[in-house]
Amino acid sequence: MILDRLRQSFALNPLTVKQWRRFRSIKRGYYSAVVLGAMIVLSCGAELLVNGRALIVYYEGELYFPTYGDIIPGSTFGLDYEYETNYRDLDAEFEEQDGDNWVLMPPVRYGPLENNLTPGYFPPYSPSFETGHYLGTDETGRDVLARLVYGFRIAFAFASLLLLCNYLIGIAIGSAMGFWGGVFDLAFQRLIEIWNMVPTLYVIMIVASIVIPNFWTLAAVMVALGWTAMTWNMRTSTYKEKTREYVLAARALGASNQRMIGSHVIPNTISVIVSFIPFSIATGIFLLTALDYLGFGLPPPTPSWGEMLSQGQKHIVTAPWIILSVAIAISIVLVMVNYIGEAVREAFDPKKFAYYQ
Amino acid sequence: MNHPAKTIAVLATGAVLVSGCGSETNIYLTLGVPVEPYALPETAIELPPIEVLEGDGLPDVLPEDLVWVTNEDDPVFASPDAKRGGTFRTSILGFPLTLRRVGPDSNGSFAGFLRPNQFGPIALHPDTRRAIPALATHWAFGADGRSIYYRINPKARWSDGVPVTADDFVYAMQFMRSKEIVAPWYNNYYTERIRDLKRYDDQTYGVQGANPMPAGEMHANYGIGPQPRHFHVLNDDWVANTNWQIEPNTGPYQITKVRKGKYIEMTRKADWWGDELKYFKHRFNPDKIRVRVIRDPNVAFQYFLKGELDTQGLVLPQYWHDKARGEAFDNGYIAKYWFYNEQPEASGMYLNMADPILSDELVRFGIAHSMNFDRVITTVLRNDYDRLSTFQIGFGDYDNLDIRPREYDLERADEYFDAAGFETRGGDGIRINKDGERLSFQVTYGTPLHTDRLVVLQEEARKAGLELELDLKDGPGSFKKMLEKKHQIAWMGWAAGGLAPGYWQFFHSANANKPQTNNLTNHANPAMDELIMDYRTSTSLEDRIRLARILEQMVHDSGVVIPTFRVPYTRAGAWRWVKLPEWVAPRTVASVFSPFANTGGFSGGGLFWIDVDERERTLEAKSDGHSFGPTTIVDTTYRVDPAG
Repeated sequence: MILDRLRQSFALNPLTVKQWRRFRSIKRGYYSAVVLGAMIVLSCGAELLVNGRALIVYYEGELYFPTYGDIIPGSTFGLDYEYETNYRDLDAEFEEQDGDNWVLMPPVRYGPLENNLTPGYFPPYSPSFETGHYLGTDETGRDVLARLVYGFRIAFAFASLLLLCNYLIGIAIGSAMGFWGGVFDLAFQRLIEIWNMVPTLYVIMIVASIVIPNFWTLAAVMVALGWTAMTWNMRTSTYKEKTREYVLAARALGASNQRMIGSHVIPNTISVIVSFIPFSIATGIFLLTALDYLGFGLPPPTPSWGEMLSQGQKHIVTAPWIILSVAIAISIVLVMVNYIGEAVREAFDPKKFAYYQ
Repeated sequence: MNHPAKTIAVLATGAVLVSGCGSETNIYLTLGVPVEPYALPETAIELPPIEVLEGDGLPDVLPEDLVWVTNEDDPVFASPDAKRGGTFRTSILGFPLTLRRVGPDSNGSFAGFLRPNQFGPIALHPDTRRAIPALATHWAFGADGRSIYYRINPKARWSDGVPVTADDFVYAMQFMRSKEIVAPWYNNYYTERIRDLKRYDDQTYGVQGANPMPAGEMHANYGIGPQPRHFHVLNDDWVANTNWQIEPNTGPYQITKVRKGKYIEMTRKADWWGDELKYFKHRFNPDKIRVRVIRDPNVAFQYFLKGELDTQGLVLPQYWHDKARGEAFDNGYIAKYWFYNEQPEASGMYLNMADPILSDELVRFGIAHSMNFDRVITTVLRNDYDRLSTFQIGFGDYDNLDIRPREYDLERADEYFDAAGFETRGGDGIRINKDGERLSFQVTYGTPLHTDRLVVLQEEARKAGLELELDLKDGPGSFKKMLEKKHQIAWMGWAAGGLAPGYWQFFHSANANKPQTNNLTNHANPAMDELIMDYRTSTSLEDRIRLARILEQMVHDSGVVIPTFRVPYTRAGAWRWVKLPEWVAPRTVASVFSPFANTGGFSGGGLFWIDVDERERTLEAKSDGHSFGPTTIVDTTYRVDPAG
C-alpha cells in the first residue's frame, strides 16, 4: 500500500519498483532493515529514552523540560547546590515530600557519562531492576545500557559519515579514471597504490599524539586514507559502461562529459554502489570499535563499544554482563547489516535486472 | 574500504609474531650454509689507566687518619628457622635478549635476576637503612667529604673461585668507562659521577665521587661493584661474544642451565663466601631457582593456581579481590599476603605553571579542592589505595607527615574559583571568567588503566564548575608531551627511589620552562632554589632532613602538585610450602618473595624458604580434599595512617 502511494506521488522507475519488491521478498534482509531502521530512528532521540536528565519536572507550579539545552542547577528546584540537578534524587525527594511536585524520568534513568557510585560498594555492579541498571554498570559505575545506546549512535553516525565522504570522493575520482582512461587513469592508479601503503593505525597514533582525537579528526583521517577502495570498483564499472551504445549515443548527441558521467554512467553503476553500502557501514562500525578497543579512538569518557569490549575482556569472569551486552549488540548489528547487504545485492543483481536485457 | 581494518589485523598478527620469536634458531643451519665456528679474538684491547681530572683524585698513599668502621650492631632480619633446599619456581614474561649485565638489551626484566647476584662493597640494611658489610668488611670516609675507602673481605670469591680483589674494582672503573661495552649511560656515570678509584693493596681501595654527600647517600651513589677482570676479553666484539656467556658473579646464585625461549635455572652456591656474614645467614634458601618464560600474565596466573609456580604477585585490586579466589585459597593451599611496606612513592597531578590560567595559585587551589579522590578510593579502587599526602613519600625520616592534602570541598573550591575571577557558570555548568575563558583543562595521561579513576574525578569536578578533558596517549607519547611541557595537567607517577627525596630536578628554576627536564610544573621560585641548593650540598643528615621537610611544605603551599594515590603495600599469593619469617619482611622490601638480596634498593630479599615436607603434605591434602582453612596475612606494622 505504501508502495502504491509512493508510486503515485513519485512515479518510481519500474525497475526500482522491481528491485524494491525483490528486496522485500528476501525476508531476513527486509526485516533486518526494518529493525535497524527503527534502531537508528530511536537512537536519534536517545536523550528522550535513556538519560539521567528528566523529561519533565513540575516544580512549584512551573514545568521544566531539562532534556535538551543548558543544565538546570540544583538551586532552581530548591536544592543546595549550583551544579546540575540529580533528577533521580529529585524524583525520590519529591515522592517523599508527597506534594504537588513531580518528575517524569525516561525509561532508562541513567546517562552514558554518569558515575552512579555507592561508596563501599565496588563497581562493576550487576544488572538489577531495582537500581534501574538493566544491563548492569561498567567498572566506573556507568550504565551499560546507556553506553550501548549512545555508543551505537556514535558508531553509526561515524560509519555513515565515512561512507558518504568516501563514496563522494571515490565515485568522482573512480568514474573520472574509468571515463577518461589513458594517462589520467594511469597516474591516479599509481597515486592510489602509493596512498594505499600509508599505514592507517600509525597515522592515527601520530595524530593522537598531536591533538586529542575527536569524532571529526578521526573521520577526517579515515576518509583521507579510506576513499581509495571505491575508486577501483567505479573505475572498472565506468570502463565497462562507457563503451555501451547508450553512452555512444549520448556522445553522438553532443552531451558534455559531465552529463555523460552524471546522467548516464553513474546511474547505471548504481547496483555496484548500492550493494557495497551495507558492507561499508559494517566496516565503519567495526573500524571505530577496533580503534576504541586499542585505545586510539574517541577520547574517554565517550561512550564506545570498543572501550566497552576492552573493559568487558578485563572483567570477563567477574562482570560478564559487560562483555555479553556489547558482544551481543555488535553481533546483532553486524549480522543485520550483512543480511541487508545480501538482500540488496540480490535485489540489484544485474543478471536479473539489467538495462541491456 | 576495508583497507584500514586489514592494517590493524596485520599489525596485531605482526606483534604476536615478533613477541613469539624468543628462541634462537641458527640462521646458517636453516639456510643450509655450513656453520663456520666463530673465531674468538684472543686479544683484549689495552685499557687506558683511569683518567683523573684537575681538582679530583685520591691521595697516592692511604691516609693514616682514616676511621675504619663496620656495622655488626643492627638487628638480624632473617629467620633462624629457615631450611635450605627445594626449587623455587617463578616466571618471566619474555626470554632475555642477553645474559650480560651491561651493554645493549641488558636492561630487560631479567636484569632483576642477574644484578642482585652481583654484590657491591656494602649493602643497605632493610630496616635501619644503614650500610652493612657485603664484599667489604670495613669502610672509611675521606676528609674531602666525597671519597670512601673500602677494605675487601679476603674470603670474597667470584663464582669460579677466583678471589675478589681491589684490582677488580679498578678494572670495573676502566670497563665501565670503555666504549666497547656500548653502554653510554654507564660511560657517563663512571666519568661524571665517579671521579677516581685507586687501589692501595689487594684488599683496599678508595673511590671518589663528584660532590659531597651524607654517608648513606655516598654508599648508594659511589659504592660501585667490581667486574671479573680475569673473565672479560674487552674488544670490539665484546658485546656479541658475551651475549650468552655466563659471567662470574659474587652473589649466592649462578645460572647453571639455559633453555632458550623456555627457562633459565639458577643454582645456589654450596660454599658461598657470604654465608658466614651476620646479615646473610639463613637467607637465599632454595637450592634452585627456575625462571620459566610465560608470555601472558593471565596464563602465568593459571600456572600458579595449578601449583606449577610457587608465588604470584597480587598487587592489582582485580587480582587480589577477584582472581585469587576458589578452592586452593579457601582450603589454605595458597596463602595470601598483604604487607604494608615503606617504598618511595610520588604520583600526582602536575599543574603546568606556564599555562596562563594555571599560573594563578587560586585556580590551582580550587582545582585541588575539586578532586574527589575519596570517591575514587572507596569505589573503583576498592579501598585498597591511600591518598598520597605530599609530592613524595616513603623516605623514612625525610617524610613530612604534618602536611595534609587538600580535600574535596566544593565550598572552598567555589571560594577559590570565585576569587580567581571564574564567578559565573556557562550553559553547560562550567565556569567562565570575564574574558569568556572556560575553566577547562586537559589532563594528559599515559595508560588506559587509569581512565576509570579519571572519569570519576571528571564527573565530580563538574560539580565545582571545572571541566577536565581527558587526553589519553600511549605511555611514551604522554611522557614526551609532558617533557616538552606541552601539557596543562600531567597525570603520572615517578619511579621514585634512593635514600632521600630529590627536589632539584622537579622544582628548581634551572629546569623550568625548558624541554626534557623533570620540572613538569615549570615551578620557579628563587627562595626555594636557594633551599634546594643548600639541601643538595649539605652533608649533615639532620640538616638535610630539616630542609627536605621545609621544601615539601613549600611544594604543598604552591599548589603545583596535587598528590593522588599511594599503594603503600605489596601483595602476593604463595603456596603453603613457601614459608616466611614470623615478621614477614623488613619494612623496605618491594616484594616479600624476592629470592635475591636486593628488593627495592635495600637488602631485604631472600628470606623465604621452601619446606619440602610441607609440600608433600599440601599436595596430599589437595588430592584428599582436606582443608587447612583459608590463610590471609595482613601485616600493617609499617602502615602510615593516611588520616594523619
